[in-house]
Amino acid sequence: MTEIARKVCMLGDFGVGKTSLVARYVRNTFSDKYLTTVGVKVDSRQLQLADGAGLKLVIWDIAGKSVIDGANQSYLRGASGLILVADGTREASLRAALGLLMQARELLPDPACVLLVNKLDLIERWEVAPATLAEIRRSLPVFETSALSGDGVEAAFAALGEALRP
Amino acid sequence: MNRFPAAVDSYLDQTLRARARPLLLSFDADWNLVEVRGDTAANGLAGEDARGLVQQLQDLFLGLPLDQSQDLPFVELSDGRHAHVHLIPDGENFHLLLLDARDEHRQTQVQQQMGNEAVLAGIEKSRTLARLRQIKSELEQQRARLEEANALKNALFATLSHEFRTPLTSIFGYLHLLERGLEPNAGQAQALRALRRNASHLFALAENLLEYGRSESGESLLDPAQLDLAQLVADLDAMFQPLAAEKGLALLIEAGAAPPEQAWFDPVKLRQVAINLLSNALRYTPRGYVKARLEWRDQALRLDVADSGLGIDQASRARIFRPFNRGAQHGGRGAGLGLSIVKRLVERMDGRLELDSTPGQGSTFRVSLPPLRAGGLPALPEEAKRRGLSALIVDDDPDVAGLLEVLLDDLGVSTRQAGTAAAALAAVAEAEPDLVLVDVELPGLSGNAAVYQLRSQGFKGGIVTLSANATEEARRAALAAGADYYLTKPLDFAQFARVIQQAGRRD
Ligand SMILES: Nc1nc2c(ncn2[C@@H]2O[C@H](COP(=O)(O)OP(=O)(O)OP(=O)(O)O)[C@@H](O)[C@H]2O)c(=O)[nH]1
Ligand SMILES: [Mg+2]
Repeated sequence: MTEIARKVCMLGDFGVGKTSLVARYVRNTFSDKYLTTVGVKVDSRQLQLADGAGLKLVIWDIAGKSVIDGANQSYLRGASGLILVADGTREASLRAALGLLMQARELLPDPACVLLVNKLDLIERWEVAPATLAEIRRSLPVFETSALSGDGVEAAFAALGEALRP
Repeated sequence: MNRFPAAVDSYLDQTLRARARPLLLSFDADWNLVEVRGDTAANGLAGEDARGLVQQLQDLFLGLPLDQSQDLPFVELSDGRHAHVHLIPDGENFHLLLLDARDEHRQTQVQQQMGNEAVLAGIEKSRTLARLRQIKSELEQQRARLEEANALKNALFATLSHEFRTPLTSIFGYLHLLERGLEPNAGQAQALRALRRNASHLFALAENLLEYGRSESGESLLDPAQLDLAQLVADLDAMFQPLAAEKGLALLIEAGAAPPEQAWFDPVKLRQVAINLLSNALRYTPRGYVKARLEWRDQALRLDVADSGLGIDQASRARIFRPFNRGAQHGGRGAGLGLSIVKRLVERMDGRLELDSTPGQGSTFRVSLPPLRAGGLPALPEEAKRRGLSALIVDDDPDVAGLLEVLLDDLGVSTRQAGTAAAALAAVAEAEPDLVLVDVELPGLSGNAAVYQLRSQGFKGGIVTLSANATEEARRAALAAGADYYLTKPLDFAQFARVIQQAGRRD
């Protein structure tokens, strides 16, 4: 067991696209059918860091919730990174993601975090204002993504990978 | 605790095992698989190959302690089955117990799916309702606008017939007099003067009505040319001196410094502005003077028209610039269009119109017009030109991008090009331009997505979005994404130039 691996959790309200983002990142696929996640699915992908080192991301895709309850607490154990996901067309899901981050910080010692605001392909229906993200960006790396088109997905996971560099 | 009878214990054991189909994998402390026991067939582990499953389980417990009991419910395995996974420490070693959770997962999944979809449907419903309300209010506004336009049109025709009848009657009356040959010398002269006066009045009215109709259909472009200030002043003087003399007013029209050669204006529109302001002043001045002055001052063409007339009180100020407003000026019985036309023309030429007035003492109208360039494009402010604005054109159609490049070059703006949203972001990251022009209809992510990301990344320059879609909804979406201006294709070049000028000014 010489390979370096890190556990990261997808965190966000239901239906924001956590499962779809993992599918895009790990398998490069997308489905427009919504099948809510119950429990957890673990996927992994090998990542090449900027300095050439390798890192394996072990990605936990869990059921979407707007708060962390007992079941999710046990899923979060051992995670060193968090991928917070919000849906740009639902302003409330952004607040949920930020709330989840605050809760997760109580449970985990200093996790690396990125925020993905997803469904960029539906920009005409976004409720989240650009200024809001500009503000959040001061304290957290923010990526606008589309699991449908793939835009921003690689960059977001890569940024988390860099933050998790051993 | 009382024990169950042995028969019941064995029954329980059998049914629970049958349901959970337990699979036990035993490991040493280094994740070496020591033994597999239980329902291997039902768990897809026929034969030897447990390596895939072991790898998954190893990933699953990454970062977790192996010397504590743990319970991870509903874990999806790579073949799509679900199991509850339990870790049971055993001295140095540990066991992983997998209990089948397929049925339970299916039930929970269906329930959660229904719950989530109900919430999403609720959100969608309230959004649709909000949209309907919005559309309704827009329709109402539109109806109000239509009603207003209709009333305006009716008033226009009423004015047309009424205002034309008066001078025409007069013309025909004096003609009649001439024909009858009354008082041949003095009378003839007076009648000719009256004819000329009314004819020019009629002419001005006709021009105004025409201009009004044109601006309603939105098709009056600027037509810049070099200006002959002295000639214009001479024409105005010839036109209005007889009128002033008849009313016993002193009329002084003078020319100051002429504009430089390269400063162009629209002479026809400027003439119309001057004619309307002068006839307005002469009409509302019972005695005293009317003074007009045209000159180039502070990088603009100035036209001041002052009179010693009735003046305009505070309450009437806004009203006098509205079309078909009568009598806002004291005792007036106006044509109702003149000042509203002046206002429109001045705005069309990007100029300013100001009014100083003291009731009972007189009024001064001040017009200030910036020069236009050849081809109808207003010139960029000097400082912008010196600084050399830079723009990024984001359009996948090379013809459109090429056209924009030429137009911008004409305005002294240097350009770069990008064909997609992603390329645009990269180009801005490389060097930030003053301006970004984005086509909405790009391949892949829309131009709005590019604009949004630029703004969310803190880009503060001007953003102009271009689209073939002229709906209000499309406009709103573009502005919400962070654009400053939304222009529809085909482009109105004069408007384009104005927008570029304004967008380039922000910093
Ligand atoms: N247009 C568009 N749809 C997306 C995108 N990402 C996800 N979706 C759709 O959104 C719905 C929900 O996506 P999921 O990935 O299942 O969302 P989730 O966050 O995993 O949801 P839960 O498992 O219930 O927490 C699905 O219908 C997806 O097809 C995207 O980038 N663009
Ligand atoms: Mg999911």
